[in-house]
Amino acid sequence: MTPQAFYGAAYPQLCAAEQQLVALIGRCPVARDSGDGEKAVLYCKSRIKAPESMMRKLEKNGLPPTGRAALEHMHDAVGVRAVCAFTDDVYRVASWLSGRPEVRVKTVKDYIATPKPNGYRSYHLILALTDGPGAGITAEVQLRTIAADFWAALEHQMKYKHTVQHEQLIRDELKRCADEIASVDLSMQTIRELLSEHF
Amino acid sequence: MRLLLAEDEQALSKALKAILERAGYTVDAVNDGKAALDCLDTGSYDGAVLDIMMPVLDGLEVLRQLRARGDLLPVLLLTAKAETDDKVQGLDSGANDYLTKPFAVRELLARVRAMTRARTAQTGSRLHLGNITLDRATYALSSPTGSFRLSSREFQMLEMLLCSPGHILPEARFLERIWGQDGSTERSVVWVYISYLQNKLKALHADIRIRAVRGEGYVLEAVE
Repeated sequence: MTPQAFYGAAYPQLCAAEQQLVALIGRCPVARDSGDGEKAVLYCKSRIKAPESMMRKLEKNGLPPTGRAALEHMHDAVGVRAVCAFTDDVYRVASWLSGRPEVRVKTVKDYIATPKPNGYRSYHLILALTDGPGAGITAEVQLRTIAADFWAALEHQMKYKHTVQHEQLIRDELKRCADEIASVDLSMQTIRELLSEHF
Repeated sequence: MRLLLAEDEQALSKALKAILERAGYTVDAVNDGKAALDCLDTGSYDGAVLDIMMPVLDGLEVLRQLRARGDLLPVLLLTAKAETDDKVQGLDSGANDYLTKPFAVRELLARVRAMTRARTAQTGSRLHLGNITLDRATYALSSPTGSFRLSSREFQMLEMLLCSPGHILPEARFLERIWGQDGSTERSVVWVYISYLQNKLKALHADIRIRAVRGEGYVLEAVE
C-alpha cells in the first residue's frame, strides 16, 4: 500500500510537517561559542512511517489498522532523527527545540539519563506543530550522539531479523558495546570541557 | 589461567611446565630473573612460580620489583634453601607462598590452586558504595539508572578510591600504582581521569562523588 493511500488526505500535511521540522532543526545555532562554527546537529534523517509498519503497530495496540487511527493515536507517523557529536549537544538541541514558538512539547523520554535495559540511549521528544504548513501534526524527534546512532543502527538490524544465531550472546555483546560507547562519549565530552577550560 | 614459571634448571623447568600444563594452566617458562620481569611487565598472568636462585636477577629481587610497582600478582617462591630466615625474607618481600625443594608435585599444584583462588574470588567480586557498584570482573560501573564500561585505568583509579572512601588519596599514589614509577608520565593525567570518573558518576545519578582537595589529592565522599 502506498503512503498516500494509507494516510489519505492528511499525507501532504505529514510531508509538510516533516520538511518543516527538518528545516527547523537545520536552523539550530552552532554548538557553542567555540569560534570554529562547530554545528550542534551533524546530520538529520526523517521519514513518514511506512503503512505496513504503522499497521503492525496499530494492531499490536488493539487499534484498527487505518490511517485515521494512526493520526489519532500514534505520535510517530512523522519521525525526525537528529545526530550530534557530543552528549551535551543533544541536550542543547533538545532545549533549543523545545523553546521554539511553532512547537509544543507533549512528551519527553530521556533514555540517555536512564538507558533502556538493552543499552539504547537517545533523547525522544513528542512535538505538536502549532504553526506553519505542518500545524496540527504530531511528530517524534529522536536526538542522539553519532556513536549511539551507529550502535542503534546495528541493534535495529538484529531486532528485525527473524532468527538470530546465539541471540543471548549477541544481546549481551550489544549491551556491553552500548556501555563502552556511552563511556567513550562521556570521556570525549570531558576532554572537550577540559580543552575549553584551557586545561 | 596463565602462569609464569621462572626456573633456571632446565630439566626441572621442563618437567614443571609439563605438569602445570597437564593441570590445565597456560605456562610461559623463562630461565632468569630479567626475562621473568620482562614477561611480568605485560601484566597478562594470573600467577607466577619463581625460583629464588636464578642468574641475572634472583627470584627475591624479581618479587621486590614486582611489588614495588604495586603489582599484587600471586607469587609462589621455590628454593633449595630450607632455612627459616629465607622463608621469612621471601614472605616479607611479598611472596604469597613458599615451597622448599624437593617437593611433591601434588603439593605444588595445591599451593598454586590456593594462591590463584584467592585472586579469582577477589577479582570476581563487586565493590559497592552508595547507589554505585563497580564490577571487578567486567569493569562495569553501574547504578539503578544505567551502566558504563570503564577503561582499565579508569577502573583502577575508581577501585583505589572505593577501597578507601573518605580518605584523601594523593595524586602520586595514583601515578605510582596505575602509570608506574618511571616518572615519564605527565602528572595532569590524573586530573583527566578524575574528570572522566566525575562526569560518569554524575551521569549515573550517583550519590557519591570524587572531590579534589587542593594540594592534597582526591577523596570519594557522599553527595550532600
